[in-house]
Amino acid sequence: MRRTLLGKFGKCFLAGGLSFLGVWAQAQSKPSGQSAPPKAGSQTEVTVDARQGKLGVGMPDPVLAGLDAANVAPNFTDVLRRDLEDAGPFALLKDKLPTSVAASTVKPWLDAGAEWVLALKVTKNGEAVTVALQVLDVKATAQGDGKQLRYAFSKNYTGNASLLRRIAHTLADDLVDRLTGDRGIANTRIVFVRQMAPGIKELFQVDRDGANPIELTRYGSLTLSPTVAPDGRLAYVTYKGGSPEIWGQKRPGSTHERLYPNAAAGTQGSCYAPVWSPDGKRLAFSQSDRRGNSDIVVLDVQSGRVRKLTDGGFINTSPSWNPAGTQIAFTSDREGGPQIYLMEEDGSNVRRLTVEGSYNESPAWSPNGAMIAYVSRFEGKFDLFIFKLGEGKAYQITTGVASSESPAWSPDERRLVFSSNRGGSMQIWTTDLSGNSVKRLSEFSYCQSAKWTRSR
Amino acid sequence: MRSVRTLFILGSSLGLVTMLACKKPEPTPEPPPPVIVKTEPTPTEVKTPTVDSTNPADMSAAKYAEFQKAASLALKDINFDFDRSDIRDVDKPKLQAIASFMKSFGSARVMIEGHCDERGTVEYNLALGERRAVTAQNYLAGLGVNRDRLGTISYGKEKPKVMGQNEESYLINRRDEFKLQN
Repeated sequence: MRRTLLGKFGKCFLAGGLSFLGVWAQAQSKPSGQSAPPKAGSQTEVTVDARQGKLGVGMPDPVLAGLDAANVAPNFTDVLRRDLEDAGPFALLKDKLPTSVAASTVKPWLDAGAEWVLALKVTKNGEAVTVALQVLDVKATAQGDGKQLRYAFSKNYTGNASLLRRIAHTLADDLVDRLTGDRGIANTRIVFVRQMAPGIKELFQVDRDGANPIELTRYGSLTLSPTVAPDGRLAYVTYKGGSPEIWGQKRPGSTHERLYPNAAAGTQGSCYAPVWSPDGKRLAFSQSDRRGNSDIVVLDVQSGRVRKLTDGGFINTSPSWNPAGTQIAFTSDREGGPQIYLMEEDGSNVRRLTVEGSYNESPAWSPNGAMIAYVSRFEGKFDLFIFKLGEGKAYQITTGVASSESPAWSPDERRLVFSSNRGGSMQIWTTDLSGNSVKRLSEFSYCQSAKWTRSR
Repeated sequence: MRSVRTLFILGSSLGLVTMLACKKPEPTPEPPPPVIVKTEPTPTEVKTPTVDSTNPADMSAAKYAEFQKAASLALKDINFDFDRSDIRDVDKPKLQAIASFMKSFGSARVMIEGHCDERGTVEYNLALGERRAVTAQNYLAGLGVNRDRLGTISYGKEKPKVMGQNEESYLINRRDEFKLQN
């Protein structure tokens, strides 16, 4: 699969599937203190089988009351099925399945490999809609007398009928939490840059499944490099005033304003690659000087004060904070081509991270801090790699089919969102950490620089 | 106050620009290191204290058309090797022509736009475009053009000139563009 690489980087690359399983082993072996407390009647056993340790889930079409199936299918049933397929721990069963949940269908569900079966009833009352979920525990039921249905989990969801899609996402996340104790990502958004016309790029966001596109800026200018704070505030680069400046939000929901250069800034230079600190108070970005070099600076957004962290007469750009906000990964050409370095948040203790390859860029520190995703040029192609800090080794994620750029982590650290021209023009894609499950986010063409967030 | 050039001088400098822009590249000395450069054009015999015919705002329609034509002849893209920002020998005559144009029109202001090809990352290419723009600014300053008349901006790989995934397209896109600001 990665034969061309094994020759050169031998020890650094493992077969893709291993890291995939590794992630799940980690999820399953989390300390119980961090997991959701077990609830009465929940005795689900997770079996490792041909489905790579995934839990077999059956999901017959919901029972409807006061609703049209033609409306529920695209806005709820299909949405939920896709969320469950994408979530990771579930294997959604598809073929020759019972169409109901009843004592008579327990045996067929068991034979089909189902461990959970989702019994769903969707009822409309006026403008409100209620989704009643009962999760049949197939094994526990089969091990009993077979007539008394046993449920792993039950919950009702109520909201305006227009929120069916959101209900599906919430329900999917509840199931992930129930099984793994982890927070799911069905209810997340992806912010990215989309070209509207040559030289005009605006910020957009879509739901994780590509639905609900929203235009976030309308400057009619070049707007680049979005970053999303933990409370949902945006910051980005825009050329709307002529030269590239940092714009964004000082408070959640507030209007967008220029954040830098500000009145306190004496000198002015072009600003690129902003990224919010994990506490949402500071922005690290790259500022150019009159000699054509650029330095990493950190702006305290409320006070407007900036501090320069690098001063080497080189290119220093693409900062990325560790989750604790104590270190910054960045790119520099101080030793020739672009390489990734780490430093403390005050600019001290600079050390080089990447050693293989002549072009390593776009570091993205993982939410749990153990990995840094980045872009590396290998055999003329730009591909995504992950550097595992604990091992001191790099692993290739995408393989040479096209250019892959701008990796950003999913909030659950299981996937990367990135831009690639593998489908023709640059579009937004996601991949798991094995590189085997690569999916296109949306049909939008000429897109780049995606960020994945829970907070919008 | 700057001296006035006659239409004759305008015409001859236009010819010089044309000649420089069109003739084959010949060895050009490396520019001297950046020094503080006087922007006063060489005094000519005709002087009036009130009007600056090199300032586009003061030009007649005909002179403005000449100015525009001279600009379009002189302000040609220069190109770069992959991941490099140093001036190629083949582009030095183009920079000479730009310097001549800017000396002929003492109030002309030019924005130097640094661009990259589509390969590589968004952010690193923005930094590289910055370098490419400043490199040309330094070179022109070395040829005697006041730095204050030369703005720089980088568009990275965000504004390709041509589409295409081949070396020919890449080379066209790895460029500095010189945009008249008047």
